[in-house]
Amino acid sequence: MKKLRLNYTSLSFLPILVCIPLGYQLINNIHFGGFKLFQEFVISAFNPKIDNEIIITVINRLNETILISFFSWLVSIIFGAIFGILSSNIFYKIFKIPNFFYRIIRFFLTIIRSIHEVVWGILLMQIYGINFSIGIIAICIPYIAVNSKVFAEQLETIDYKSFESINQINAPKFSSLITLIWNPIINTFKNFGLYRLECSIRSTVILGLFGIGGIGTSIFLSFQTLNFRELWTYLWSLAVLIILSGLIFKKIKFKTTNKILSISFIAVFFITILFSFSYFLYFIFNNNFENFNSVILLYQSSPDLELFDFLKLILETIILSLLATGIVISLPPLVIGIFNNNTSKIFIKFFALLLRLIPTPLILLILLTFNNPSLSLAALTLGLHNAGITFKLLVANLDNQDRRNYIAMKSLGISKKTCWLLGLFSQQAKSYLAYCAYRSDIIIRETAIVGIIGSVGLGWQLQESLSSFAWQEVTIVLIAYSSIAIVGEFINGKIKNSLT
Amino acid sequence: MNNTLLELKNISYKYKNNLILNKINLKINSGEKIALLGKSGSGKTTLISVLNGTVKPTQGEVKLFNKSFEELDRKQKSKITTIWQDLRLIDDLSAEQNVNCGLLAENNFYFSLKNLLNMSSFKKAHKYMQLCRLHNSIYDKKIRNLSGGQKQRVAIARSLIQGSNILLADEPFNNLDPKLITIIKNLLLENVDKSITKKSTKTALVALHRLDLLNDFDKVIGIKDGKIFFNIKRNNLKKLHLDKIFN
Repeated sequence: MKKLRLNYTSLSFLPILVCIPLGYQLINNIHFGGFKLFQEFVISAFNPKIDNEIIITVINRLNETILISFFSWLVSIIFGAIFGILSSNIFYKIFKIPNFFYRIIRFFLTIIRSIHEVVWGILLMQIYGINFSIGIIAICIPYIAVNSKVFAEQLETIDYKSFESINQINAPKFSSLITLIWNPIINTFKNFGLYRLECSIRSTVILGLFGIGGIGTSIFLSFQTLNFRELWTYLWSLAVLIILSGLIFKKIKFKTTNKILSISFIAVFFITILFSFSYFLYFIFNNNFENFNSVILLYQSSPDLELFDFLKLILETIILSLLATGIVISLPPLVIGIFNNNTSKIFIKFFALLLRLIPTPLILLILLTFNNPSLSLAALTLGLHNAGITFKLLVANLDNQDRRNYIAMKSLGISKKTCWLLGLFSQQAKSYLAYCAYRSDIIIRETAIVGIIGSVGLGWQLQESLSSFAWQEVTIVLIAYSSIAIVGEFINGKIKNSLT
Repeated sequence: MNNTLLELKNISYKYKNNLILNKINLKINSGEKIALLGKSGSGKTTLISVLNGTVKPTQGEVKLFNKSFEELDRKQKSKITTIWQDLRLIDDLSAEQNVNCGLLAENNFYFSLKNLLNMSSFKKAHKYMQLCRLHNSIYDKKIRNLSGGQKQRVAIARSLIQGSNILLADEPFNNLDPKLITIIKNLLLENVDKSITKKSTKTALVALHRLDLLNDFDKVIGIKDGKIFFNIKRNNLKKLHLDKIFN
């Protein structure tokens, strides 16, 4: 018997097998109670509510969303760069500081980014109550850690020989550092900044669903009152915001040779640092910490969590991540491969935009209209939302792909689908899988959001423990959740390294 | 009077259990121009890296101005300039910015920032680039867009602008045509234009492959398998010496 040999192309499709157990549970859990609601939801997409009142609300809500997302993006990208420098080995080589410090900072940042911004948001809201700045802080905390990782990775690519050469000139250490890191930092900002801005907008919307304000809160309230036409007005305005921010960002061609832009960049950099510190001090001295004292008091109550139940929740979270990752990897190539024509491509792009646009909790709430809450439903939600992002990436990469192999195969009379698979996709499969490994990190963190709403895994337990102010339980759940994310990041890092 | 600038005492360097340099003793006196000969992989580049302090020897001592490297301050260390075989320019910066990097040692942080923002003066850099026969159309081009010969001359200009006393060069004439080799050789060894290069860079150790370029050197050092086989005046160089290291 011939031995089965897997390659990157087949590995991209194989995870679709998760749909077997997933589909089985979903079919068993189907109900038709909310079918009418779902129908209404879909129809409303083409008939959003437009009147003076809602336009004013949209503008106000968008203002709040823009403020929260822009400031959290700005602060997190600037502090991300600073921590990126502090957690990159180039800094320690130049200043001849032992690597021990660099490992401590990296470990600290890994723990911080392992916890999703929604979890940070809920925790901070429990302690400080709902306020505008909580949204910014909740996004900034994990985002600084995520951005620092990206900046550090870019700084690690600096050629060691360039470092040796600059070092040999024996310039002042800060001069050597800035000369070596300036361009990698600016390039990361250019290539990664827009994506992080989009992420920041999405996170603001999700935090809005949990009451922090902005358009997310309006979306949630419209859904609660089943006012789907109003809901779609908010969603479309959100789409316009994301598309517009992308267009504006692309218009700003940041050239390092442009003196005015470079000086503005440095000015914004220092003003943001100054402003952030001032605001942090203001926040510390103007907040009521009585809640915090009650947290400390409640911390003394013993946890009420059975070991078996706890282990079950951990297992659920891991399975949820794996199932969702399976969908994220296989769904985009499968759909693009099957519907491989120009008309379908437009629909796929639109579909992907919708999946990215609609926040995960809302997708889950919509799916709950015809399916009972279950692990599979949560996995499907998480998978669909993140597949929206991998869809976008894959379509863009395939569009830029060298088509000579595809054309050559087509000229041999090979079917269009096979040509696509072997002539186009196979060349993308490796880098696509590497990106999916990175995406899997995010999925693990996002299990908390779907868990809270879909009654699954540690996310659900976190919500329960927070509602009953069982802070010891909260700590245990957070440690478990963070550990899963850290182990996941470690495994995905290894996979990513083997693929790049 | 002791006019030794650089001294290697019993230097050995091991990398992954391979002995790259084996008990090397060497003195470089002020004003000497030394050619370093040897086959590829004989240890020339490592020797240069040890001399400029980039590589720490496994055994032995390196002395610059009769002091060990650890005792020297930054300004003293910057008296050595190196032209690397692989050039080691910063790809993302323009040619003139790279040349200006040679001035980082004598300037403060503000200068490095201005250099990155294209706000520093490139007058001095341009003069050295002109000396190296670089056309002004490439001054603001990124390194990655230059040809091999152009990159080579940018690296040389960066080294010259440092105005250091001691030049260490690892095959600096690669990628250059015969006419340019003569010009660059004069620049490196003779300081042709004294109006620009105020400080003398007459002490030089240059790793070479081409024997026809030996005429301008005072001494020749032959290295094989990490060991110095001969260290003699150029006039005493015989075919036998070359056979020893190349065969």
